[in-house]
Amino acid sequence: MKLTDEQQKTLRAAVDRIIPSDNYPSAWQAGVGDYLAKQFEKDLSPFFDTYCAGLASLEAESLKQFDQSFSSLSDEQKDAILNQVEVGDFFTTWTVSPQNFFKLLTNTTAEGFYSEPEQGGNREGVSWSMIGFDSI
Amino acid sequence: MKNYDAIIIGTGAAGGIIAGVFAEAGKNVLLLERGPALSFSDVGRDHLRNQRLSVYGHNAGPELDGNPRVFVDPLGKVQTVRPHQPNYHNNAACVGGGTRVYGAQAWRFLPLDFRMASTYGVPEGSSLSDWPIAYDDLEPFYERAEWELGVAGDGSALEDKLPRQRGYPLPAVNSSPQTVALRRGAAQLGWSTNPVPLLINTKPYGGREACIGCKYCVGFACPTDAKNGSHNTMIPRALATGLCTLQTGAIVKSIETDTHGTVTGVSYIVQAPHGTELKKATAKIVVVSAGAIESARLLLNSRSSHHPNGLGNENDQVGRNLQGHLYPRAYGLMREKVFTGIGPGVTIATTQFNHGNPDLIGGGMLADDFIKPPIDFWYDSLPPDLPRWGLANKQFMRDNYTRVLHVRGPVQDIPSPKARVTIHHDVLDCWAIPVARLSGTTHPETVRAAEFMQRRGEEWLRASGCEKVWSYSPGLVLSGGQHQAGTCRMGNDPKTSVTDKWGRVHSHENLFVIDGSLHVTNGGFNPVLTIMALAFRSADYLVQNRL
Repeated sequence: MKLTDEQQKTLRAAVDRIIPSDNYPSAWQAGVGDYLAKQFEKDLSPFFDTYCAGLASLEAESLKQFDQSFSSLSDEQKDAILNQVEVGDFFTTWTVSPQNFFKLLTNTTAEGFYSEPEQGGNREGVSWSMIGFDSI
Repeated sequence: MKNYDAIIIGTGAAGGIIAGVFAEAGKNVLLLERGPALSFSDVGRDHLRNQRLSVYGHNAGPELDGNPRVFVDPLGKVQTVRPHQPNYHNNAACVGGGTRVYGAQAWRFLPLDFRMASTYGVPEGSSLSDWPIAYDDLEPFYERAEWELGVAGDGSALEDKLPRQRGYPLPAVNSSPQTVALRRGAAQLGWSTNPVPLLINTKPYGGREACIGCKYCVGFACPTDAKNGSHNTMIPRALATGLCTLQTGAIVKSIETDTHGTVTGVSYIVQAPHGTELKKATAKIVVVSAGAIESARLLLNSRSSHHPNGLGNENDQVGRNLQGHLYPRAYGLMREKVFTGIGPGVTIATTQFNHGNPDLIGGGMLADDFIKPPIDFWYDSLPPDLPRWGLANKQFMRDNYTRVLHVRGPVQDIPSPKARVTIHHDVLDCWAIPVARLSGTTHPETVRAAEFMQRRGEEWLRASGCEKVWSYSPGLVLSGGQHQAGTCRMGNDPKTSVTDKWGRVHSHENLFVIDGSLHVTNGGFNPVLTIMALAFRSADYLVQNRL
């Protein structure tokens, strides 16, 4: 199961607002994209359609409200839309529950970023260095 | 077909101990375990698939496919759930059972915990009752469990509340900055504290190494085998006698009875080269030690013309009073780092509020927590007013993972007869055996006590120097889970209990239930040491009187 290029761009932009970069890498920079790609083949395969539909709706929301692709919005504009999606406030027709999609997006991003490096989303244990957790 | 002295079903906290006692007394034992024996690397270090956080699976069984249960929520909605999902109330399915991957807190119940009904009276709608035995009956067997398996603690700490003949074999775990802060906070409040007793080798013991301070006690296996469960203590001793046959991958289908209704043995399913094979074994006695949910399920599924409602269920008592613990939890932010990264992490507790609380039945213990893997912390421990995403969330994790103090603890469950295990005949597991159906909730009195303990947790953290404090309490839910207990409780009256004070099923001479199912009440403590003490006590009795 693979996302289209457009969905992939939207996913990357969204994931990087869930965990943005600062002095430490963003979720995507740390490998959450790889983590999710792996998970779409395994545990997240039952949710793959929710992801596709949610990402398409996120893109539609962006076009409707800002006349631009989600991935090319400013950080403030992206956050404005994500804030709406989180509470179920929307202007286009969603085929999946926006709140459920947002929760799935948030939880799976954090799972990749904060779990052990072998999962793929916490390259070289970067989130663990950030928070002060080392594993023996 | 071989005839054994005893067949024991389940290798957890109770089953493994009973097997050890029987075999060392020269008895022939068949020990059946549905799961496999798991090595350290089999259990692994997957932060998303373990017995503490099971987002996508477990690391110690049961298999996610083929082992469903049915859960009925408080509004009556019926769901089929898989082992890693909420409301399954899972416990590990492997050699050692839950002890393979537990945190290993080794508490004794307090004397009053055995006399809840006479101490507090019985609230309406509850089946609260006294135990048919007292703390003094169990005291020698608590000691035996502490010494034979290995417990680290401070024996003088609770002398006034818990009379004991002998201290612990191992010194308590070391203090950490969080211990110091919490001890100071408790002292300011006038609360007593003590080190948390743990079934962990703080020094080499029992021929095994000491703890190396890794961060993976709860939900994982120990890298130096310093965490003491039945899998690395009593089961190896049982096997060393040559008298105990351990059969893993064995699913007990039913307890067998003869034409007079007398228990003769069990029928069980094992993997065979081409599919599965149904085997039978007979024994003088059968001991069911499968955990509170599966033990009840097996009795209820063992139906025959003599026992149309299952074994021991003449009075509709099997499966009732399912209980575990509600866990209120509180968190606070310290100015300084309190996290050292040295496991186990849990160090200090207060038993100040287990009893004697105004207008409450019972209460509970509060302690700091085992080190939490970061993703577990992210799911469990963040303040409710923190956004779940964005820079604020990331920077809270960055700044505060090492500065958050945690306290939590089990609250004495006030049992309800409606919290129960029954059989759902339309849903079968992969061996075509009808599955357990879980329904009901704990009694509302438990929720009141949990909310009281939640406030005490906040108070403790504030007194310990936390600038910001937040907390959670679970509400009115079914409790069970890894602390599951109560479904075949012991008692003197067959109308309100399933077994006598030794675990003998009232209506059968040679059928025993010995595990958490026996608990009349489940204390305001992690229950495993009580399960172990009961196992030693009943196993001794059976060797002397029945085998």
